[in-house]
Amino acid sequence: MAVQTDLQNRTERTLGSSSWIGRLRALDLSSPRHADKLGYILLAPAVLLIFVILVYPILLSVDLSLQDVDIPRIGETREPYTLDNYTKLFGSAEFWRASWVSLKLIVVVTSACFAIGLATALLVNQHFKGRTLARLFVALPWAVPEVIAVVTWWWMFDSSFGLINWLLVTLDLADKPIAWLSQPVPAFLVVSIVMIWKGYPFVSIMLLAGLQAIPEDHYQAAKVDGAGAWQRLFWITLPSLLPVFGVTMILVVLWVFRDFAVVFILTGGGPIGATQTLSMMTYEQAFGFFRMGFASAIGVVTLVICVLATRLMVSRMAKSMY
Amino acid sequence: MRRTIPQSVLLYVTVILTCALLLFPIYWMFVTAISPSAQLRAFPPQIFPDAPQWQIFQQILETRPMLLWLSNSALAATAAVLLSMSVSVFAAYSLSRFRVRGGQTLGLFILVSKMLPATLLVIPLFAIFREFRLIGSLWSIILAHSTLIVPFSTWMLKGYFDSIPRELEQAAMVDGCSQLGALFKVILPVATPGLAATALYGFVLSWSDFIYARTFLTVEQTKWTANMGIASLKGEFITDWNEIMAASLMAAIPIVIVYMVLERYLVGGLTAGAEK
Amino acid sequence: MKSHLTLKAVLAVAAGTGLLLAGAPAQAETLKFISWQVNERGYGDWWNQAIAEFEATHPGVTVELSNVARPEYADTMTTLFASGSPPEIVHLASFEYQKFADNGWLEDLGPWIEQSDLDLTDWAGQDKCVWEGTTNCIMLLYFGFVMAYNERLLSEAGIAVPTTYDEYMAAARALTVDTDGDGIIDQFGIGHHTTAGNQYTHEMLNYILDAGGYWTDSEGKPAMNTPEMIEGLARWKTVLTEGLTPVDMTSNDTRQLFNEERVAMRVDGPWVYGVMRGADPEVFKHLKLAPPPFSPPVGGSSNVITMPSDISQEKKELVWDFIEIVTSEEFQKRFAQEGASPAPRPGAVRDSVYEAVPHFDLLIETQQAAAAAGVDRIPLGLEIQFNEFAKIVRNEVQRMVIEDLDPAEVAARLQTEAEALQ
Repeated sequence: MAVQTDLQNRTERTLGSSSWIGRLRALDLSSPRHADKLGYILLAPAVLLIFVILVYPILLSVDLSLQDVDIPRIGETREPYTLDNYTKLFGSAEFWRASWVSLKLIVVVTSACFAIGLATALLVNQHFKGRTLARLFVALPWAVPEVIAVVTWWWMFDSSFGLINWLLVTLDLADKPIAWLSQPVPAFLVVSIVMIWKGYPFVSIMLLAGLQAIPEDHYQAAKVDGAGAWQRLFWITLPSLLPVFGVTMILVVLWVFRDFAVVFILTGGGPIGATQTLSMMTYEQAFGFFRMGFASAIGVVTLVICVLATRLMVSRMAKSMY
Repeated sequence: MRRTIPQSVLLYVTVILTCALLLFPIYWMFVTAISPSAQLRAFPPQIFPDAPQWQIFQQILETRPMLLWLSNSALAATAAVLLSMSVSVFAAYSLSRFRVRGGQTLGLFILVSKMLPATLLVIPLFAIFREFRLIGSLWSIILAHSTLIVPFSTWMLKGYFDSIPRELEQAAMVDGCSQLGALFKVILPVATPGLAATALYGFVLSWSDFIYARTFLTVEQTKWTANMGIASLKGEFITDWNEIMAASLMAAIPIVIVYMVLERYLVGGLTAGAEK
Repeated sequence: MKSHLTLKAVLAVAAGTGLLLAGAPAQAETLKFISWQVNERGYGDWWNQAIAEFEATHPGVTVELSNVARPEYADTMTTLFASGSPPEIVHLASFEYQKFADNGWLEDLGPWIEQSDLDLTDWAGQDKCVWEGTTNCIMLLYFGFVMAYNERLLSEAGIAVPTTYDEYMAAARALTVDTDGDGIIDQFGIGHHTTAGNQYTHEMLNYILDAGGYWTDSEGKPAMNTPEMIEGLARWKTVLTEGLTPVDMTSNDTRQLFNEERVAMRVDGPWVYGVMRGADPEVFKHLKLAPPPFSPPVGGSSNVITMPSDISQEKKELVWDFIEIVTSEEFQKRFAQEGASPAPRPGAVRDSVYEAVPHFDLLIETQQAAAAAGVDRIPLGLEIQFNEFAKIVRNEVQRMVIEDLDPAEVAARLQTEAEALQ
């Protein structure tokens, strides 16, 4: 509501009744002759914004990925076209290992985000006193800047003075402190946990909203048929949530795929490449090793993978959505 | 349906345990913030510091332009949300109600634009903004953030508009309203929860950005956002984590406020787009 | 009336966008200066004094100083240079300037130095500023490592301050203990940087140099498959596998732990004194400095000042004036005092420095020891590839520890990978 009135106010403030608007008003008719034109006009600002801000960078990345350049200076001399970066990329063991790590991370983080997101959404969807507060609490990790979230978890998982090791040893769950970030499997686990903590609130909010849309009479009918709580969850709640799952899934997967801050701060991709993801590799090549051409090639490949994956998920979703 | 007493107890215990577990890292931030700077690594870990340094928050406000950073962030996030919402409301309406050739492809393209790694976008964007003399101006990040928000909000709103029956507008149009008039008078009021939800998403996205702000605003210290200010607190040889954690907690407050304002619209809003 | 509201909104957005794109802020004569040391005790104060001096002698010109934290520094500067908007006063770490020089982005300072009074003879570390025959910068700091230790912890354990590697290891073992008997080691003999970043290789280098090895030879060719290097790697492996240092720590964390008496000894640059002063006064009185138990000590160039090659001549002249101020005898003396670090300018010491920095002779001593041995943290011949080289080293060394490999095998592999890198 607030947004809408604001829009109107702003519009009225910004523009009086100038003559060029008068002329354009002719287009603003619901007559079928102009309807399609209006459709294009309405779409134009979004397309313009995205073209101006994104298309040039994307083209530039593709262009750079086809040159053997270290640090390019925008608008200066260019190198001849070559496919070297791509040949090198597909031939490098590191690329395939990073793809595998990215895939593992996506599967682990996304499924855990959905498990926790669904559980918390179902929980705070119950009627009880303090529900609003509980909803806020469940969403709160979203508000913590990513870098700070990572550092906080790093401290808790600290190998020598961390709370978690102290608990594990004190409760006799481990006989000596675990060097969390110096071993491949624990390091992957810590990276996953941090991402899950940062990622589940979004899922939780989305699913909570989805739950509101399930008509109460579906549940009533199921109860009459004698369905238990678990049966209702599996036969009514989850199927009704499927469309929401789709949109949320795309956004979570893309986020896990593109994020590099968590890995960058915690492990830098180590130990021995156990947490080296594609996005970490892109960052490292671009700003660590200053190989912009090669980094752009990874970026372009990442982009293509994202497009294909989204295409796949969208077409799956399309049936339920439209 | 009434719960029995054991059921209620079980529910409350579960809620409290879940919240405690999920919020513990935030509590730990808080503990670090109020620990004396010479005792950040107390061991065994202290669940509450012996000598809490409450003045840390005041100290930050006095020694750093924290309020300026926060208001820059708030200004940028609000403007980015307004700009991207006004753009995507029309785009979504167009995709939902008009037969636009290539609309499907365009819709997908809008989503795809979100997928290039930010690290690669930064240098070309810098060159573009320099051409328009926007480097060092908050407009640079407002525009950059808007392009990140527009894809999501366009998709969410399109789905939302799809679920609103066309009969509503048609009725209004019969009463002499134009198609766009119908959008404002009929559709948007119905879609308020969707608008609020996408606004929240955009606000959080803009508020959390660091990489764009750092690149475009570095040289203008008066234009720094909260996240940049927090990052600049890190020293080369030693890091005053208590100061950084305290500043981060302060920087989270505006998001909490925005969330609390929008929460009542949110439920039923955010995902209705995906519903039929 | 309402009917064309929406169109108005569309146009408002378009017009608004146009307005914003057209708006251009007016600029006064300013020199932009970005550094990571603005908030640093000592160094930051010194920079501000230099700026005040410059602005007083150049009315109408202002220097705009902004801080970018060290972790983001290289990225930020790369972006600024690559997009053609570098700051006028360029401050870089001595291990990253080469990439900028290699791209032709830095001014050849040779002619500027020639026509000025600046005498760079015996200027500590200045040879590191010569990249492919041209002087691209002025060195601001060349230092040797010192050893910070906690006198109370050492004397309570009945240990003398170690002066050799063997004594140091014995001390480290004796000081790595579980002080409260809960089964968790909570005091470490040594504190090392053990997480991502180039600092990892810098800290390993202590042991390698003492064992007589180095990354490359005097020609700049990788020289890692040597008995000395293997011994150095074996020493580092011992430190890690015996748990003499906490792991997964940044160097900043270990300095914090040193200040909290959780780490007994730390070999570090002159800046460690500034950090020690931040400890609790009760702890600070036990924190002492000594020569490092390694010979030669790790040392090296730290940071440089220069200017971009593509700014206007007037701006270059202004920047050069600024450089002359910071390299003047007066400001070099102030640097020693404010920064508690040996200034690169020969003889830039005044008596009052000893009041602020009682251990100043020690700093000069290790600086000269490192310089005499020709030591630098950044190996000759691998300057440009250093980030990548450091990553390779860390990777292989982590593998050595995790899979318990023979250091000889690791040295051979490092040699091969470094050769491929060049």
